[in-house]
Amino acid sequence: MKKKLLLVFLAAIMGVSSLTGCGKKEGGNTAASASAGNAKTEAKSSKSGDSLRFLDVSPSETRQRYYEETFKKFKEETGISVTYESVPWDDAADKITVLGASHQLPDVMTTWSGWLGQYTQAGWVIPLSDYIGETRSEYTEAVNKLLWKSEEERYGKIYTVPDGIMVKGVFVRKDWAEEADIKLDPQAGWTYDDYFSLVAKLTDSTQKRYGVSYRGARGALDPLLTYLQGFTGGNTYDAEGNILINSPECQEAFKKWTDIYLNGYAPEDSINWGFTEMVDNFTGGLTGTLINDSEVAATCLANMEASQWMVMPMPKSTVDNKIYNTINAPYSYSISGDCKNPDNAWKLIEFMNRPNNNIEYCKLTGLIPIKKDVENDPTYGLDGPYATFVQQLNDPNLAVPTTFGPFDYTDLHQGMFHEEIQKYLLGKEDANKALSTITDELQTRMKKYLADNPDAKIETASVLSK
Amino acid sequence: MNPKDSRQNTQRIKMKTMLEPYLFILPVFILLLFMFGYPLINSIIMAFENYKLSNINDIYFNNFENFKKLFGDSDFLLLIKNSLVYVVLSVAGQFLFGLVLALALKQDFKGRGIYQSIVFLPWAFSTFVIGLIFRWAFNGEYGVVNDVLIRLGIIDKGIAWLGTPGLSLAVIIIAMIWMGIPFFGIMILAALQSIPEEVYEAADMDGCGMWQKFWLLTIPYIKPTIIITILLRTIWIFNSFDLVVIVTGGGPANYSQTLPSYMYTKAFSGYDFGLAGALGTLLMVILGLYAVIFLKLSNYDKAGDF
Repeated sequence: MKKKLLLVFLAAIMGVSSLTGCGKKEGGNTAASASAGNAKTEAKSSKSGDSLRFLDVSPSETRQRYYEETFKKFKEETGISVTYESVPWDDAADKITVLGASHQLPDVMTTWSGWLGQYTQAGWVIPLSDYIGETRSEYTEAVNKLLWKSEEERYGKIYTVPDGIMVKGVFVRKDWAEEADIKLDPQAGWTYDDYFSLVAKLTDSTQKRYGVSYRGARGALDPLLTYLQGFTGGNTYDAEGNILINSPECQEAFKKWTDIYLNGYAPEDSINWGFTEMVDNFTGGLTGTLINDSEVAATCLANMEASQWMVMPMPKSTVDNKIYNTINAPYSYSISGDCKNPDNAWKLIEFMNRPNNNIEYCKLTGLIPIKKDVENDPTYGLDGPYATFVQQLNDPNLAVPTTFGPFDYTDLHQGMFHEEIQKYLLGKEDANKALSTITDELQTRMKKYLADNPDAKIETASVLSK
Repeated sequence: MNPKDSRQNTQRIKMKTMLEPYLFILPVFILLLFMFGYPLINSIIMAFENYKLSNINDIYFNNFENFKKLFGDSDFLLLIKNSLVYVVLSVAGQFLFGLVLALALKQDFKGRGIYQSIVFLPWAFSTFVIGLIFRWAFNGEYGVVNDVLIRLGIIDKGIAWLGTPGLSLAVIIIAMIWMGIPFFGIMILAALQSIPEEVYEAADMDGCGMWQKFWLLTIPYIKPTIIITILLRTIWIFNSFDLVVIVTGGGPANYSQTLPSYMYTKAFSGYDFGLAGALGTLLMVILGLYAVIFLKLSNYDKAGDF
C-alpha cells in the first residue's frame, strides 16, 4: 500500500512540475528553445565579408519568403550572400541574450525598441548614425522626428533603422455608415464625441450589428489610455512622477469609454475579446468599427470588399484638438556588435530599405513605408487603403502620447489592467475603484523607478510638428 | 575449480543477479530524472526566487515573497473556488455519463461496434480542437447552443456564455465532461466485461433484482477501476489548463480561471516564473495530499476483495 501511495503521489507531483519547472534560465534552456526555433544556425558571426547572417525575430511564411527573395536579389547585385535565421517572437529576447553573452550574434538583427536599453549598454548593437549620415533626409518625418529623435535622446545615437511604421486608425464599416446616412470624411477628421455617436448609430442588435469591436481582454487599457491622455496633454505622469490619468476628467472619460460596452454597443462576449476576436468580428460583419494598427488593413483587403470598409483617423482630443496616436516601428534593423564587416551589413540594410523593397515589405505586413517616396505608390497615395494612416503622419496636430512607464509592467498588462476594467463592467466594483487600482499601482512603480534611477527624465508626449 | 574460486564465482553471480534489475531500470530512471526531476526541483527553487523573464539579470532568493503575493491576491479564493467546482463537476459528470455509457455498451445490440467508435471519438480529439468547437458552439452571437435554445423557446435572446461570470466556467466544465466521458466509458466497460457471468446467474437464482445486482455485485467488482480512474482523472483535470486558456482565457475578470491556468498565465504571459513556481508547488502539495487521502478513504488496497 505504501508503495502504491508513493507512486500515486509521485505521479501527481510530476504532472504539476512539468508545467512550471521548464522555465528558462539565462544560458540554460534558452539555447535549446532557440535551436528549436527555425534558426538555421551557424556557429559564429560570419567571418568573411562575403556572407552575412540575418536574424528575424518575428518569423512567418510571408516574411521568410520576402527576405529570402530579397537576399537573392542582394547577392546578385553585391555578391554577398545572406543566411536567413529566425526565432519565434516568444523566445527571441532570450535567444539574443544568449547569443550576445556568448559573442555569437548574427550580423544583422531585427530588434524591438523595448530591448534597445539592454543592447546598447551591452554593446550588442552598434551606432548607425554615421552610416545614415546625409541620407537621413530621405526618411519620413515620423522616422526622423519621432523614432530616431527618441533613440538619440535615450541612447545618444541612432542604433536602428525601422522596417516600417505602425500607426493606428479607426476602421469603419463604410456600407453601414452609408445606410445610416452618416457622412464620414477622413480628411476633415473627427472628435471622440463624433466617434461615440457613430458607434451608437451603427448599433442594431436585432440585426446582429454592433457599433464597436470592443477590446475587453488583454490590451483593454491600451486604446483607453490614449483616450484618457487626450485630457492630460498626452502624458501619463507629471514631472514628479505623479499619475495624471486619474483626474476627475479622466474618471468621467473612463466611464464614457466603458459605456460603449455597458450601453450595448458591443457584443456582450466582447468583455473577453482580444486582438483576434476584434478583427475577426469586424471583417466577419458583426461590428461596425475597430480601433487598431495599420496592419489590420492587410486583413481587411484580403477579406472584405472595398465598398465595405474605410479608415478614419484617430479622433481628436476635445481638450486641445490634437490627434493622440501611438506610432512605432514593429521591428527595426540593427547591426550587431559581433559583426565582422559592418559596411556590408549596412549595405544589406540600405538594400532592404530601398523604396521599392521597403514598399513591397510594407504591403505584405500592413506597415507604412519609412521613406518619403511613398506618395508615388498608389497603395499609399490619396486613394489607397493606407491614405488615412499616411495623412495622420503628416498632420501637424499629431502627437504621440507616452507609455505606461519606463518600468516593467508586463504583469499588469497581462492581468490587472483588463481585469479591473472587467470587474467594473460586470458590476463587481465601481469605476473609480477600477481606475484608481490601476493608477495607484502605476504611480507606485513610477515612484520606485525614479527612486532607483534619480537621473531619469519623465517621458513627455512627442509632437511631430516641432 | 578450487572452493575459493567457486565461492567467488557464486558471489559474482549473486551480485550480478542483484544488480540486474537496477541496470534495466537505469535508463528510464535517468530519463525521468532529466524529464521530471530537474523541472520539479527547478520549479520548487523558482518558487522562492524573484524570477522574472522580463528582468532576467535580477534573479535572487526572496524567501516566501511569492507565496505571500499568491495568498494575498484578491482573486485567490475565487481561483480556489473555481478549481474545486471545475474538478468536482467535471469528474462527477464524466463518471456518471461514462458509467451509463459503459453499462449501455455492455449489452449486445446491432451496430454496437459503430456506435462504440462514435462515442469514443471525443477522446481522440485534441484539446485545442475541442476548445475551439466549444468556443464557437457557445458564441453569444452566432453559437449553435443559443440558436437551439431560442428555437426550442427556452430563451428569447442569446446568452453571452463566454462573457458572463459562472457561465464561462460552465462552458469549460461541459467541454471537459464531453471530452472525458469516453475514458471513463472504456475503463468501466473493460472492468464490467471482466465480471464472471456465473456471479449474475447465481444472483438470479437467489432472486436478486436489477438494483441489488448493480449495487451488490457490479459496483464492488468494478470498484478498483472506478477508484483509480477517478483518482487519475481528478489529477489530470486539476492539472489541465488548456481548455480554460483556449475557451475563455480565464475571463471575464478571472471568473473562469483555475489555479493551473492562472499559473500558466503568470508564467507565459506575465513572465513571472517565481510566482508561477509558487503556484506549481502549491498544486503539487494539494494533489499529493489529495492522492493519499483519497486512497485511504476509498480503501483502495481492500477494493475488489471478496
